Amino acid sequence: MRNRNATAYRFLTPYLLIFAIFWVWPIISSFLISFQATRTVPWRFAPGFNWGRLIGDPAFFNALKNTLLILVIQVPVMIALAMVMAVLLNSPLLKARGLYRFAFFAPVVVGEVAYSAVFRLMFSLDFGIVNKLLNSIGLPKVDWFSNVTPAMALIMIAVTWRWAGYNAIILLAGMQSIPDDVYEAATLDRVSKLKQFFYITLPLLKPVIVFCAVLSIIGTMQLFTEPFLITERGGPGGGTETLGLLLYRQGFRSLNFGYASAVAYTMAGLAIAITLVQLWLTREPK
Amino acid sequence: MATVTLTNVAKRFGAFEVVHGANIDIADGEFVVFVGPSGCGKSTLLRMIAGLEDISGGEIAIGGKVVNDVEPADRGIAMVFQSYALYPHMSVEQNLSFGLRMTGNPKADTERRVNRAAEILRISELMERRPKKLSGGQRQRVAIGRAIVREPQVFLFDEPLSNLDAELRVQMRVEISRLHKELGATMVYVTHDQTEAMTLADRIVVLRAGHIEQIGRPLELYDNPDNIFVAGFVGSPKMNFIKAHIVGRDAKGVVVELAGEEKARVVQPLTGVAPEPGSKVIVGVRPEHFGVAGEGDADLTVAIDVVEHLGGTSFLYARTAHGDDVVIQRDAAKVPETSNVTVSIRKSYLFDEKGMRLR
Ligand SMILES: Nc1ncnc2c1ncn2[C@@H]1O[C@H](COP(=O)(O)OP(=O)(O)OP(=O)(O)O)[C@@H](O)[C@H]1O
Ligand SMILES: [Mg+2]
Repeated sequence: MRNRNATAYRFLTPYLLIFAIFWVWPIISSFLISFQATRTVPWRFAPGFNWGRLIGDPAFFNALKNTLLILVIQVPVMIALAMVMAVLLNSPLLKARGLYRFAFFAPVVVGEVAYSAVFRLMFSLDFGIVNKLLNSIGLPKVDWFSNVTPAMALIMIAVTWRWAGYNAIILLAGMQSIPDDVYEAATLDRVSKLKQFFYITLPLLKPVIVFCAVLSIIGTMQLFTEPFLITERGGPGGGTETLGLLLYRQGFRSLNFGYASAVAYTMAGLAIAITLVQLWLTREPK
Repeated sequence: MATVTLTNVAKRFGAFEVVHGANIDIADGEFVVFVGPSGCGKSTLLRMIAGLEDISGGEIAIGGKVVNDVEPADRGIAMVFQSYALYPHMSVEQNLSFGLRMTGNPKADTERRVNRAAEILRISELMERRPKKLSGGQRQRVAIGRAIVREPQVFLFDEPLSNLDAELRVQMRVEISRLHKELGATMVYVTHDQTEAMTLADRIVVLRAGHIEQIGRPLELYDNPDNIFVAGFVGSPKMNFIKAHIVGRDAKGVVVELAGEEKARVVQPLTGVAPEPGSKVIVGVRPEHFGVAGEGDADLTVAIDVVEHLGGTSFLYARTAHGDDVVIQRDAAKVPETSNVTVSIRKSYLFDEKGMRLR
């Protein structure tokens, strides 16, 4: 028996080696680096240096505020939207279901740069289709890139467009796993379709909804592509800078790896904390 | 309570017709069982009565009122599903009361109905449990309880016992019988198990491929089947079918000679027109209708393959000289030691080549 296990581990060795070098070690290493002063060579051990700076850094708090704001508004809106999409996709009246399912999923596989470029074009001040549409229904143009509030809204719209369909597909899979006869029983019980949704679908879907929420929270905590490419590195004037961008700026522009590591650990810590609160709030009653 | 009347009811899925013009009259308080092999349209028929499937043709009336366009909830029926279809996230108590709570039924009345159902089914101790923590039989009771709570005029059961083990199935069968007596409601019950049909039903509807083959009381179907399908479906082990041909007529009826057995002849009284001599027919003999040699018609010698001893009775699995398989029922004491045995036919049924009964 022991021999057989040993053989299995030998087969796993290449994977475990790579996993240790490129996955475990960076996690440990960046934790250690976060306790070092890295602005001047040679790096030296100074536990309070980065963490102390973090607590008083307005740029960090700005990025934290932006990230949490996006999280609090965008995630619930997106999940609600995904739920609506899933209900529509699940409707027996829908024709060409496969096509819609593909269309909703497609944004995830579109290249990030291409998608960002298209969003920049669509929302451009003078030529963008969005402003043209606003104009045509009598609303004023919006300068999406030079004002903080529209810029934040733009980020949220973009992220929602990209991920709502993905979440809808997951929710749809969950819905389809609820047996039809449960709904038939409810129909015979004279329970309306709307009540069936709130008293049967939603409660039975709770684990799936929590799963989507946790994925989205983790994703949003690391938000980088959209503020980097669409609002040009967190513009205007840091108005859409997220923790992900701050990390990038510190680590790869200023080459201040100690501080970047501290930011990274803060992001991970926050994601874990929020997720735990979320799981605790939605736990199964005993 | 109510009658259920099906008039020329048909069901098509696209161009594919699965129920062809069914006519069934179910009396008030009657227990009717739809029985037939898998895919014959039993569930479809039941779901049309419930209103869960549209009706493609014909008319369904419950309590004398045509319900073709009446919502399922307004038909006065309750249905018990094969998979139980319990609400997994609700306790037993919530499962039973859900429908009433959602429709604003007065609280006291809901409580009364739920308690009564729980008492009838003896599930009062389980009220706080979730379905996941119940055994199959208990789940089945809850599913039936949910139907009772609705106080319907007609109960519909779709193979409610097929997920239970053999012992529990017998026990639940008795309980459903008791329930029928206690509630006096009309019940329509779907199964593919002929034993369930025989033991539960006031009347049985035998279905095959969307056609009604015969409707009748259990013993009527057993004693007087209309065709070879019903004859083979009702009774266990099933009726033996032996190839034969007509040789002529005598004073008592038509004379039939079993294939490959020149001396084995059966005489069948026949009121209808007898087929031409020489035409091929099929003789049906139930395992319990074989006697010892000389006791009836057509002594024939068969080769025994296997003997099954069930205690009081035994079954001999044998082959005729012509190669037809037959099952013979015998008292355990009268099982021969030899590998060949001569039996006679005490009672038989005659079918034409298409399988229709000749009588
Ligand atoms: N929604 C549907 N679309 C197309 N064909 C269907 C549909 N539902 C049932 N059928 C067909 O109708 C026929 C009868 O089905 P039904 O479920 O009534 O059979 P059943 O007698 O209940 O069989 P079982 O004993 O296996 O439950 C089958 O041939 C089945 O394939
Ligand atoms: Mg069925």
